[in-house]
Amino acid sequence: MTLGARQFRALLLKDLRLELRTRQTAIAMILFAVVAMMAFQFGFGFRVDDTTPLAGGILWATLALTAVLGVGRSFVPEREQRVLDGLLLAPVSRSLLLAARAASVFAYMLVVEVITVPLVTVFFVQDPAATDFALIALVCVTANLGIAILGSLLAAMAVFTRARELLLPVLFLPALLPVIIASAGATHAVLGVSDDMPEYNGYILFLLVYAVIFALVAYATYDYVFDD
Amino acid sequence: MIEADGLVRRFASRPALDGLSLTLRAGDCLALIGPNGAGKTTLLRVIAGLLRPDGGAISVGGHRYPEARQAARPLIGYLGHDPLVYLDLTASQNLELYADLYGVPSGRVLAWLERVGLLARAYDPVRTFSRGMVQRLALARLLLHEPRLLLLDEPFSGLDAAGGELLEGVLRGLGGERGLVLVTHDMAIAARHATRVMGLRRGVAAFEMEGPVGHADLAARYAEVIS
Repeated sequence: MTLGARQFRALLLKDLRLELRTRQTAIAMILFAVVAMMAFQFGFGFRVDDTTPLAGGILWATLALTAVLGVGRSFVPEREQRVLDGLLLAPVSRSLLLAARAASVFAYMLVVEVITVPLVTVFFVQDPAATDFALIALVCVTANLGIAILGSLLAAMAVFTRARELLLPVLFLPALLPVIIASAGATHAVLGVSDDMPEYNGYILFLLVYAVIFALVAYATYDYVFDD
Repeated sequence: MIEADGLVRRFASRPALDGLSLTLRAGDCLALIGPNGAGKTTLLRVIAGLLRPDGGAISVGGHRYPEARQAARPLIGYLGHDPLVYLDLTASQNLELYADLYGVPSGRVLAWLERVGLLARAYDPVRTFSRGMVQRLALARLLLHEPRLLLLDEPFSGLDAAGGELLEGVLRGLGGERGLVLVTHDMAIAARHATRVMGLRRGVAAFEMEGPVGHADLAARYAEVIS
């Protein structure tokens, strides 16, 4: 195993161990997502005969807000226990620190989606049995890439600011709008509403391009984020 | 080991380092003394690469900052005011993390825990440790990758008598190819370990003393600096 791979594995393992012990991020994200789903259900689920066309939008609006919560908590151990210097002192490339943090956010998002995707089909889709979960899983994976990369970058920037609780959502949510639009569109396309595979494929491609663009932005800027 | 020339670092408009220069050779132990706010911790953080100076030049182990800062990192062991360990991980998990980050054999983890007297608590979360035990773990973290340059900021703070003896032993065992910069308010410790002493005041060197330094001489010079 190369040193870079060993460092990446150690950083990711550390995040997952901390989460398993404290259960402060993934559990909070799941609870938030479920409560948000229920709020949507109570908000208009009973007033609309067929909420299937809305399901994709509801799912991804919920997941975007959940991502803000999760990303905002992702540097809490380093900030509260003042351990960030330990990571910065080590001979680890800054982009590897980002990659490991993005991987843990990606994993948390997947856990949340395993619970929320079935829930959204039960709550909002008229014929849940017709839902193609494999295609929705691909939407989740491609959307999570962009969410995790951008979120980790912004969280690293915000961790040093006093107004981080305000700054992160204000920066992150608008930047997530393309992900919400494309993910909701792709989900909508395979929920049996339109069954439009060309549209689905277009949105998946868009999500991949979005992730690649922000990966390049993060790679180019991450060194400066932690410089001082 | 360290070549620093005209270091300047400001916080807002207040200079914490104001044109400070220093040289540290392998085998040297430089004690930094001075009142609060003199710039001691700032200097240590600049040497560690945690703060970028606003002016001046610095290189560590022949690696000039900021271009070659990454290459200098494995050479440096830094013990500041925070232990830099995760309270919700166990002692061994913390050291395993740092072993992986520095690319050193994992076998050293238990060996170091034994050396600092924490082997029996290796698998307990650090949150359950006393302050002195956390400081011992921080000492193991500091030395795990066998750094050639040690930067210690009041390292005896929080250590009990046994922990203090352990650290004294580590300091006595230095020398050879290693360098040490030690920030302390304790003149006895500075006199015992330092081969050179630099007194800082308002970000500049107020005095320097070479060779084995007597406790009384040092205390007198320090009193001049803070008066």
